[in-house]
Amino acid sequence: MPGVTLSRWTMSYFALALLCLMGALALMAGGFGYPAADVAAPQTLFLVHLVALGWLSLLLCGALFQFVPVLIARPLHSDRLPLPTLLCLAGGLALLLCGFLHLAGWPGPRAVLPLGGALLVLGFALAIYNLARTLWVAPSLGLPASFVAVGLTCLAATALLGFVFTLFFGGVSSAPWVAALTAEGLPVHAVAGLGGWLTLTAMGVSYRLLAMFMLAPELEGWSTRAALWLGSAALTIITVGGVAAIAVGYGPDWALAAGGLLALAALSLYGRDIARLYSARKRRVIELNSRMAGVALVHLAATAVLAVALIAGGTLGRHVGALVFLTAFGWLTGLGLAKLYKIVAFLTWLECYGPVLGKVETPRVQDLVAEPKAAPWFWLYFGATDFLVLMLLAEAPGLARIGAAAMLLAVAAIARQLLRIRRLADVRQAARLPRGVSRPRLLILTVPQA
Amino acid sequence: MTTFVDVDVRPTLRAGGEPFGEIMAAVNTLPPGQGLRLLATFKPLPLFSVLGSKGFTHEEREIGGGDWEVLFAPPGSASDAVEAPKPATSATDASKWPAPAREMDNRDLDPPEPMVRILAATEQMQQGEVLSALLCREPMFLLPELAKRGHGWRGGFDDDGTTYRIHIRVGGAVDAAQ
Repeated sequence: MPGVTLSRWTMSYFALALLCLMGALALMAGGFGYPAADVAAPQTLFLVHLVALGWLSLLLCGALFQFVPVLIARPLHSDRLPLPTLLCLAGGLALLLCGFLHLAGWPGPRAVLPLGGALLVLGFALAIYNLARTLWVAPSLGLPASFVAVGLTCLAATALLGFVFTLFFGGVSSAPWVAALTAEGLPVHAVAGLGGWLTLTAMGVSYRLLAMFMLAPELEGWSTRAALWLGSAALTIITVGGVAAIAVGYGPDWALAAGGLLALAALSLYGRDIARLYSARKRRVIELNSRMAGVALVHLAATAVLAVALIAGGTLGRHVGALVFLTAFGWLTGLGLAKLYKIVAFLTWLECYGPVLGKVETPRVQDLVAEPKAAPWFWLYFGATDFLVLMLLAEAPGLARIGAAAMLLAVAAIARQLLRIRRLADVRQAARLPRGVSRPRLLILTVPQA
Repeated sequence: MTTFVDVDVRPTLRAGGEPFGEIMAAVNTLPPGQGLRLLATFKPLPLFSVLGSKGFTHEEREIGGGDWEVLFAPPGSASDAVEAPKPATSATDASKWPAPAREMDNRDLDPPEPMVRILAATEQMQQGEVLSALLCREPMFLLPELAKRGHGWRGGFDDDGTTYRIHIRVGGAVDAAQ
C-alpha cells in the first residue's frame, strides 16, 4: 500500500516509557539513587538506565517506527518486528536493573547483568535493523533522516559499550581490554547515548515535525548540513577516538574535549536553524506542543551554556550530575512530553476518524486535547526541573528531592491528559463516536486494511 | 508467451530523480500482451498497487546490491492468477484522465486539514471525476485512505520541489478492477 500507515505498537512503547519515567521520578523523590546517593552508586545507575532506556529510548523507538516512514515517504520495513523489539528491550531493561540492584548488595545471580545487556543489544539490533532497512530503500535520505541514521549508529555504539561493561561487572570477562574500557569508557558511553543517539535523533525529527506543525519551510540549507556533519564528526571523534585512545593506553579526555567543541558548533547551528524555523512559520498562533518544544529547546541552549561554564570554572567533575540531569530532563524529556502531547492526539484522531473523514461530521485533532488544562502542568514540569538543577548546583539534595516530587506530579498529570486523549474524553459527547467509529484501544493502534 | 520491455530506472533514482513519469510513460506505450521488466534500487511497493489497479500482476526478486527486478505481467497473460483483475478500461489510462472537476489549493492549511478537505471533496464528487489539489508536502497519511476507498491517484512534486500536486480520480482504482 502506498503512503504510511499507523504503527500498531507505538502506543505501547509510549505507555511503558511513561511508566518508567514516573517510576524513576518517584524513586528520586523517595531518596533512591542520585541526588540522595552518590552519582556513581549502583542505585544511580539503576535510575539513569530507567530514564535513558526505559523512558527516553522506548519513547524514541516508538516514535521512530511511526515517523521514519514519514521522513522518507516510504513504508516501514517490517510492521511485525516492533513487538518482539519491545519485549526484548523491556525484558533486557528489567534484567539490567536487577543486575544494578545486585551490585548494590541485593541478593541474586551475577549473570543477570550481562544477560540484560545481551537482551538489550538484541532489542536495539532489531530496532536498528528495521529502521535501517526502511532508510536503505529511500532514493535520497534528506537531512532529517540523515540525523536519524547517525543517531542509530550512535545507539549501536552505546549499546555495545554498555554490553562490555555488563560483561565486566557480571564477572563474565576480566580481560585487560574489557577492564580498561569499563574503567575509562563511561563518559564515551554516556555521551554517545545522550548526545548521539538521543539528541541527534531528536534534532533530526524536530526539524521535520516543527516545520510540519508550524507550517514553516523545510530547512535543507548549509547550516543544517553543517550541523549534521559537525555533530557526526563530534560523535565519531568521541566514540571511535575515545575507544581507540583507551585501547592504546591514553584516557579519552582529548577525544571528549575535541568532540565537545565540534558538538558546541553543531548545537549553535541547530539553534540558529530552529530560531529561523520559529520566526519563518506561517502559523502565527502555535499550539501548546510547539510552545513547550520551544521551552525544551531553550533548555538545550542552557545545557550548552552550563557545560561551558562548568568546564571554564573547573567544576565539571563536581557538577556533572546536574549537567546530565538538565540534558535528560530539561531538554530531552521536555521535548519528548511536548511532542507526545501532539503525536498521541494526532495518531488517535487518525485511527478513529480517518476512515470516516468526509462521510460523517468528525472532530478536529485539536478537539481531542484540552490545552488550558494541560498547560499549567507543562509549566510546573519545567519550573520543577529548573528548581531541581539549581538545587543540585547548590548541593542541596534534600530540596532537590522536593523538585523531583513536583516533576512527578506534573508528569503524572500530563500522562493523565494523554490518557484522556486516548479515551476521547475531551471530545464533545455528541461528536465523539459518529457512525462507523469505535472507541480506540488504549495500547494498540487499530491499523486499517485496504 | 509474454515478452517484457526493459525499463531501468536505477540511474534516475541514483541521481535523486523521480522515475514515476518514466515508468508510466513506458506502461502507456506497451502493446497489448507485452509486460514490463523494471529494474530499481528498491522494492517499488507503491507501483504494485498503481499497476495492479491497471490489471498488471507482478513478480519481484532482489538481484543483489540492494537492487530489485520486478516483472509486471500484462492483464490476461499466462502468469495471471485466476482472480487477477481484468484489463484496465481506457478510462483508467493515466493519459486519458478527464480534466479536473474540482481544484483546491491546500498549501497554507495546517495538517491534517488538507487531508480532511480532500476526503470531504471526494465524497461529494461523482464516480470518475478528477480532483486536483496542491499541497506543501507528500500526503503520506492520505494515500492509504485513498487506496482503501478505491480512488485512483497520481502525484508528485512540481519542478520547484516545494509544491506537491495530486490528481485523484474518484473510484479510479475500482473502475480498473471491474
